Amino acid sequence: MSKTTRRQLLANTALAGLFGFGMPALAQPARPSSIPWRNWSGGLVAHPAGRFAPSSEDQLAEFLKSTKGAVRPVGAGHSFTPLVPTDGHLIVIDELTGMLDYDPETLRATFAAGTRLADMGAPLEAVGQAMLNLPDIDRQTLAGATATATHGTGIDFTCLSGFVTELRLTTPAGEIIDVNADKDKDLFNAARVSLGALGIVTRMTLQNRANYRLKSQTSIQLTEDVLDGFDESAAQHRHFEMFPVTHSDYALTLAINETDEPIKNPPPQSPEEAAAYAEAMTTIAQTPPEGRKPLKNALAQQIPPTENVDASYKVLTNIRNTRFNEMEYAVPLEAGAECLREILRTIEEQAVDVMFPLEYRYVKRDDTWLSMSAGEEDHAAISIHRAAGADYRPYFDLIEPIFWKYGGRPHWGKVHSLGAAELKALYPHFGEFQALREHLDPQGRFLNEHLRKVFMA
Amino acid sequence: MESRQTIALVLLGSLTLAGCGPTTPDEPTTQTSTQLPVAPGLPQALANKWARSCALCHIDGNGGAPRIGHAQEWAPRIAQGRDALLTHTIEGMANMPPLGYCMSCERDDFIALIEFMTGGAP
Repeated sequence: MSKTTRRQLLANTALAGLFGFGMPALAQPARPSSIPWRNWSGGLVAHPAGRFAPSSEDQLAEFLKSTKGAVRPVGAGHSFTPLVPTDGHLIVIDELTGMLDYDPETLRATFAAGTRLADMGAPLEAVGQAMLNLPDIDRQTLAGATATATHGTGIDFTCLSGFVTELRLTTPAGEIIDVNADKDKDLFNAARVSLGALGIVTRMTLQNRANYRLKSQTSIQLTEDVLDGFDESAAQHRHFEMFPVTHSDYALTLAINETDEPIKNPPPQSPEEAAAYAEAMTTIAQTPPEGRKPLKNALAQQIPPTENVDASYKVLTNIRNTRFNEMEYAVPLEAGAECLREILRTIEEQAVDVMFPLEYRYVKRDDTWLSMSAGEEDHAAISIHRAAGADYRPYFDLIEPIFWKYGGRPHWGKVHSLGAAELKALYPHFGEFQALREHLDPQGRFLNEHLRKVFMA
Repeated sequence: MESRQTIALVLLGSLTLAGCGPTTPDEPTTQTSTQLPVAPGLPQALANKWARSCALCHIDGNGGAPRIGHAQEWAPRIAQGRDALLTHTIEGMANMPPLGYCMSCERDDFIALIEFMTGGAP
């Protein structure tokens, strides 16, 4: 086993288990919790009374019918906002995984909603399909990613919730209902981005396409040059985004396009190169922020361009080895460049000690009620990051009002400080969502402190 | 000031947030699968948890995770003692997220999973 890779370990019996929940059903009653819950970054801690991991939709429905008290669903724990913490029961959907069905004619496939995005690419490839787009982290569950309107990059692509054509919801009362745009359009548009406040989504059907190969190319360019031509670049490439390097004049660009070229995965950086970069960056980090620009500019110019070709789901996603906390807002497209410039200027003027680059990308409008790009406008999404374990509040508190100034909407899974009053002004359908939530969960079982602030305050 | 390790990792990702997991040069990717990794010897319920969480990093060594079956990579961790391994698993450690992506695992589950991955080392 010493030379075995994950891919080699994957059993190669294509389509086996396709029409079940992937793994044998294992009855697992709610268990008193022996340990706290923490999110991916470690910044959130909760002490749930117990954990319940249903192995079937019926088991979940029975649990909700037969119990009282607070519950919160949890996917992969990747959200930085306190969507999950509860002193009631965590409902873990880990057992509800796998591809359940697919249609070669419509190129749609149905997945159990506890399936991690990372575990969707291979089974889809086996039936000739691929997702239209993916976020750059793929450890999240399908349910968690869509509940928070998680998105990838590209002016032609909505968030993941926009790819959902049908879903199955177990309501707080334990009723199992199938929802699509024809059966109940309002519930469908609400439940695709629900913050886990309407019940628990247990399966979703996604609109996919024939599988495809992508080529990614990175390069270092002057930030202002990239911004000046960003609209053209976004139109020219299937995916285009930039990572402005703080305290420098440069940004790294990432352009991804379809290709028929052979697989090309360049070897990882040599230990010597890695050591040289690490040493240079340590020197920069030890320099006060206001003195870093010449050093960072010099280093940035040494970053070589890269190319990578592989299956779409392997190119679109990355493994994030460095844990962090993140704030992300989406602002109307035409305000994106000015908002980004003001953030970069503020970081520089206030000498914010941050090494993480920013992230800037476009997301297409959609017809859900609560996604960042819900409505009639495409949006520019801008992210800032702080290393896990570091106090992110001073930095994020400094930048968040800039997002507000440009009409920004927060990513539901990333740090923000907005409450119901502010949010209602940002989303035309927010009041309708509040009413629907109240209708489905009049006792507020699915609310925690954070969601009371978001929906009730 | 952000830690030296963080700084290095950020930069080694070519200044992006892109991954720095291992890359196999020109590895063919035509192999397809619909099943998760298997964990021989573990009870089925625990094997399922392992496949959906630990296996994400401890097969390929993502983020410097010690790989299952590579005793030399586990040796310095094992030397810290079981209690330390359990604490790091529950609270997170360096690149490993708290709970190792297993949201349904309780203390006993982690003890068994650690024993499985370390090959039962004391």
